[in-house]
Amino acid sequence: MEFSELQRQSSTIAHGYHGAQQLMRLQSKSVVSNQNGPQFNWGSPPSEGGEEGDVGPPKDLRERPMTMRLKRAIREVQQMRVPVVTSWQSWKRSKAKSLSRFRADAGGVMSYVALWRKALHKIGGHFGGGVQSYFMFLRFLVVLNFLSFLLIAGFILIPSIVFRSTSTSNMTVDSTGPEVCKVYDPNLQGLVVFYQYFLDLLSGTGFMEYSYMFYGYYNNTVAESSGFHYNLPLAYLLTSVFYFTFCLICIVARMGSALRVAVATGSGAAGSYSKMVFTGWDYGCQGDRATKLKQKSIHYQLQVDLEEERLQKKALSLTLGQTVGLCSLHIFLMLVSLALIGGAFFGIFKATVFSQAQVGAEGILGLFWVYLPSIVITTGNFVVPFMCDQIALFERYSPSTTIIMALFRSVFLRMISLGVLLFTLWSQITCFKDSPKCELCQYNNKEYPCWETRVGQEMYKLALFDFLITIAMLFLVEFPRRLVVDHYSCALTRWVGRQEFLVPPNVLGLVYGQTVVWTGALFCPLLPLINTLKFFILFYCKKVTLFSNCRPAVKTFRSTTSTIFFLVVLLFGWGLALVAMIYSLAQIHPSMSCGPFRSLTMMWSIVPNTFDTLSLTTQDFIFYMGSQAFSIPLFIFSCVVLCYVAALAAVYGKSVDLLKAQLKLEGRDKQFLVKQIEELSREMGVPTRDQLDTFDTGAAN
Amino acid sequence: MGNKQTIFTAQQLDAYQDCTFFTRKEILRLFDRYRDLAPQLVPLDYTDQPDVRLPYELIGSMPELKDNPFRQRIAEVFSEDGEGNMTLDDFLDMFSVLSEMAPRDLKAYYAFKIYDFNNDDFLCKSDLEKTLNKLTRNELTEDEVRMVCEKVIDEADLDNDGRLSLEDFQHMIVRAPDFLSTFHIRI
Repeated sequence: MEFSELQRQSSTIAHGYHGAQQLMRLQSKSVVSNQNGPQFNWGSPPSEGGEEGDVGPPKDLRERPMTMRLKRAIREVQQMRVPVVTSWQSWKRSKAKSLSRFRADAGGVMSYVALWRKALHKIGGHFGGGVQSYFMFLRFLVVLNFLSFLLIAGFILIPSIVFRSTSTSNMTVDSTGPEVCKVYDPNLQGLVVFYQYFLDLLSGTGFMEYSYMFYGYYNNTVAESSGFHYNLPLAYLLTSVFYFTFCLICIVARMGSALRVAVATGSGAAGSYSKMVFTGWDYGCQGDRATKLKQKSIHYQLQVDLEEERLQKKALSLTLGQTVGLCSLHIFLMLVSLALIGGAFFGIFKATVFSQAQVGAEGILGLFWVYLPSIVITTGNFVVPFMCDQIALFERYSPSTTIIMALFRSVFLRMISLGVLLFTLWSQITCFKDSPKCELCQYNNKEYPCWETRVGQEMYKLALFDFLITIAMLFLVEFPRRLVVDHYSCALTRWVGRQEFLVPPNVLGLVYGQTVVWTGALFCPLLPLINTLKFFILFYCKKVTLFSNCRPAVKTFRSTTSTIFFLVVLLFGWGLALVAMIYSLAQIHPSMSCGPFRSLTMMWSIVPNTFDTLSLTTQDFIFYMGSQAFSIPLFIFSCVVLCYVAALAAVYGKSVDLLKAQLKLEGRDKQFLVKQIEELSREMGVPTRDQLDTFDTGAAN
Repeated sequence: MGNKQTIFTAQQLDAYQDCTFFTRKEILRLFDRYRDLAPQLVPLDYTDQPDVRLPYELIGSMPELKDNPFRQRIAEVFSEDGEGNMTLDDFLDMFSVLSEMAPRDLKAYYAFKIYDFNNDDFLCKSDLEKTLNKLTRNELTEDEVRMVCEKVIDEADLDNDGRLSLEDFQHMIVRAPDFLSTFHIRI
């Protein structure tokens, strides 16, 4: 009946239209072949209520699943049917159309500007979405670091350079304190051995120490000239705080878009098989090798899912004794891995203490002592996860749990090892053991005349060492491995195989590097710039090694390659750096001999001091904002908004469940009715639909 | 660019722009790709709408489709005659749906038709088995194929008729965030 109705409608329009016959032929085929498909209502006017008509029918047309000929025919019919609109509306519509065309063209131009667009697409096509997400994360970090550098350059670096070159119009406030605390001689030697420059570059000492690189070079100038007032210490502090806030906003914004999708689609576990089957194939995958690998990966994934279910069923059927045994095994092995990690932390602590005591040693040995904490951390980051992996073989968790446990152990190890290093440094600077070294200046001024620069140097060394090790691994491990595997084929090389590009360890490396930068940014303002360059070079190096040396990982887990996981781990790092920064700002006495805060007892006290110089009305306003009369109503209001949003979310969830139940009921009703019809027709001797179909196709042949 | 091209009339280009998700430049570039498949068959002047149909073998040899296990089904779904022989209209339609700007419902509709091997508007068990075998290159055992098919129908079949209709499929696609990025061919 739908067919005849459409035929009638189309025949009325078809008069005087030369494509009518084509149309009817197409329509008959499309209607018979897909009665489930969407139908086009020929009778509808082109603009209904003006909403559809604002951007015009074209936008609606290309979203309809019809053949091109049908769409073009419909478009011609719609254009023939001139709508009765005022000249204002037709002008508006034509402007809207040209605006959308312009936007499409501009979008095309903008996508050329996006960094590494083609490279990312090529990587995604050959190695899949997991590896591509790593590179997209790397690109995000490059952009974040570059924007941070611009921020720091604009508010700290450039004013500093300007004030230094015009030294007449500034005023530095000297600190009040014992004279011995103000001694700081950053070793400006005249003639040095030629390789000393190289060693200094690597360790941040010598010519690099008293430069814009580190905290100690900046003065606490308050520039005042003809109405222009710039308080450099305040700018330094506020820029650092804003830098942290800016990074947090960027991360949360990026996470928000991913989370929105994740929350809307519900938990990932439900519907995993159907998702795998229908959305698992990446249509953009090109190349014979990539296709074979993708197929192997899907195969492996399905096998793993089935295996996990089998294991779950088995776990449910364990006896009590077996369960107790399994639990105690898990606890024991967890304790073993924690002991390993604890051992690594102790090693880092000892190495840092020893390295700090060796300051002033010369030559290559001196360089080695100076780099000892970095070396120990990097070694720990290699050895401990490897041993935990061996332990995990005995643990007999399901595969996905094993991978998630290994990841959490690695994250824990990396972040806390950095934390141990920082803790050691701080305890040395502030003498936790209450030794007499810190009584005079409230910090250990003999060993750390300018302790902020020393901390900055430590962070600089960590970042540089991390980069050098990655490049060294590339050239000394991955390339030779590929050469050996490709040219000598024996049982050993076949078993070892080419390098696999594992995403989680690489991502953890990036997060570690970024955390180091965040921790050190207060003490080494140029560190974001160094990190931008480092990640920029890293992108190309990783791309080269990916395409030359690596084979794609067959085993991938979507949860561990998702953007949300990367950003959550990045937030851990941010939190650690935030704790370090707050402790530095609020607890430790700044050096009296160098830096923008040399005259203060606490870095944060520049803010209250400047606050007192503001006008009275501003002070009153800010006091009012902090008082109870303002904050309690604000708090109550935000609680109300929160409750409203939560209630809305609950209501939507309930209505979704209701609709799903309704859908099931309707399906059952439909089945019941269909069965009744079949029974009735059987009783009455009328041929069923199936029999009719076979009769039709038989007649057509 | 601009008004110098003589392949299409201005109205034809406008019509293509309204009916696909491509801009003028992209449509002309796609025409060049179409023509490169068989330069002797495809004329340079499309103003009189010639009826030129490229056989499936040429379409299936494109680098974007060559290694795709579903290339035959894709060509069959988007071609007018259902055999995989495509006119320029079909070609543009296909890449428009597979482009990144096509909305999810449109892509889900065509994905459903691609996976529906017997063209009965339902994804029954045999369709799922064929899809699985193409996905894994026939490497799953019979038991495993059977189990996975059962699980898929369990998860996605909402009206409980033992096979997936278009609505079941679209409902399942709504909950799969990867779909838009995987059902995408860049050309």
